[in-house]
Amino acid sequence: MREPIVRAVTAIFAALLIIGSGPGFAQSPAVNPAIAEAAKAEQKQQVEQPLNNQPVWSEVRSGVPQWTSTLGRETNVLIQPQGETWRALRDGWVSVWAGWALVVMLVAIGVFYFSRGTLQLHEPLTGRNLRRFTAWERAIHWASAISFSILAISGLVIVFGKNLLLPLIGYTLFSWLAILAKNLHNFVGPLFIVCVVLLFFTFVRDNLWRMHDFTWIRHFGGLFSARDVPSGRFNAGEKLWFWGGLLVCGVVVGASGLILDFPNFNQTRGTMQIANIVHLSIASLFMLAGLGHIYMGTIGMAGAYDAMRTGYVDEAWAKEHHEYWYNDIKAGKIPEALEGMPDASPDLKQHPA
Amino acid sequence: MARMKFLCDAERCIACNGCVTACKQENDVPWGVNRRRVVTMNVGVPGERSISVACMHCSDAPCMAVCPVDCFYHTEEGVVLHDKDLCIGCGYCFYACPFGAPQFPQSGAFGVRGKMDKCTFCAGGPEPDGSEAEFKKYGRNRLAEGKLPACAEMCSTKALLGGDGDTIADIYRDRVLRRGKGAEVWGWATAYKLPPAGAKPPAANGGTKS
Repeated sequence: MREPIVRAVTAIFAALLIIGSGPGFAQSPAVNPAIAEAAKAEQKQQVEQPLNNQPVWSEVRSGVPQWTSTLGRETNVLIQPQGETWRALRDGWVSVWAGWALVVMLVAIGVFYFSRGTLQLHEPLTGRNLRRFTAWERAIHWASAISFSILAISGLVIVFGKNLLLPLIGYTLFSWLAILAKNLHNFVGPLFIVCVVLLFFTFVRDNLWRMHDFTWIRHFGGLFSARDVPSGRFNAGEKLWFWGGLLVCGVVVGASGLILDFPNFNQTRGTMQIANIVHLSIASLFMLAGLGHIYMGTIGMAGAYDAMRTGYVDEAWAKEHHEYWYNDIKAGKIPEALEGMPDASPDLKQHPA
Repeated sequence: MARMKFLCDAERCIACNGCVTACKQENDVPWGVNRRRVVTMNVGVPGERSISVACMHCSDAPCMAVCPVDCFYHTEEGVVLHDKDLCIGCGYCFYACPFGAPQFPQSGAFGVRGKMDKCTFCAGGPEPDGSEAEFKKYGRNRLAEGKLPACAEMCSTKALLGGDGDTIADIYRDRVLRRGKGAEVWGWATAYKLPPAGAKPPAANGGTKS
């Protein structure tokens, strides 16, 4: 009964609407060729496959920015599929490989230590000291060493803590630890970048590559033979650590870290996902190489740690481990190595090699 | 036990943003955070579609997988919730989520973000149901009151459906059959993209592979 009336009223309203909006219809196309193109494609789709909504769902899935009234970063993206790849890489390949590589490295160092022990000098100490590092060099090295260690440990807590620590100490305690780790990591990170830059300019002169470094590499620095291969102030191993570790890893980890640490510059999720994978991969290499460096600088070789702490080494140490450097000092080419030279350093006296 | 789901019927959504407003109002959502948003495709041209999107409460939730402190959990009804007391504000859930659901009250220098906030399916958090602490951190716990999410309840065209997955699937399937359109959402064309050339479009009545 009422239906015809309703229909008539609706038709009149519709007619009025169409008349009213007529000029609008005439204007709307051709404003933007891309939009006109999309409209044409849509019309074609309606003719050819009138019931198929598939293009809409492809578009939903595509990650292409659309339109929204919600303010904010990437609110106009319906689905960002790259996060799934990030998740698969982070929880899969990257953490599995990095984790086992670190375990293997620690085991290898342990085996080396228990088979060879601390590498001792072959000649007795002379009691005469040479200045190997200035106060500035030691300060910047320690600043780097401490910040590197904080970053490495806090980073490991964030990546592996969920599986290794959380079951041991429980949710609340681990959350506190993770908050501490996250904030230490985020605030110490930029400090470490400053250290890397200063460290680079401090040590770059003596890390330039020399021909005799190839010989050192060919013989693994004498690690598996009786004697050291002669080297300058820094041997080829230290130089590899300087260029590959400090420079390459330092710059890549630092740059990717800054992208993650300062999300206030409106970088997208996609950028941060890539930065995170790069950061994790290269930081793992950095830690692997760092373990070797830390081992050699502490318990691996007698005298190395004292050099880093006091700045002085015994002449016998210099002659055995850095013969070309020692020769240069003896030839008077490096007068600063003889500056402020105390007798034997107390540490070397107490722990004769 | 019901398995809670959202479903937005793109043929019905008119982008009125009523769901967004309902959510903000019901849950007292902090400034700068929108637990739900409406996105419009092909805006202003034929084929315009709007979809309301929020946390989809995934079964295999990426946020849960990557969280370094394991602060996410599934309720018995399949709702993904998180514990703000454990959250460290690292932002990993925000990297992982395809829907842009996890958000932070700030994104400051040195990665200072505050605690993550996202849609709770109006199911609150780990605190006791309906408590003041729960409301302050997560908003209203409507499920505990026997109600469905405010966004879906408020939807004027009933485009946004929220509730037991089986029930809303039945409602949507019924709509698809009645309108004789969008049937591919349930079947072959959605899963495998294009029907073979020259094939007849999916039948309007009962030809669906639901």
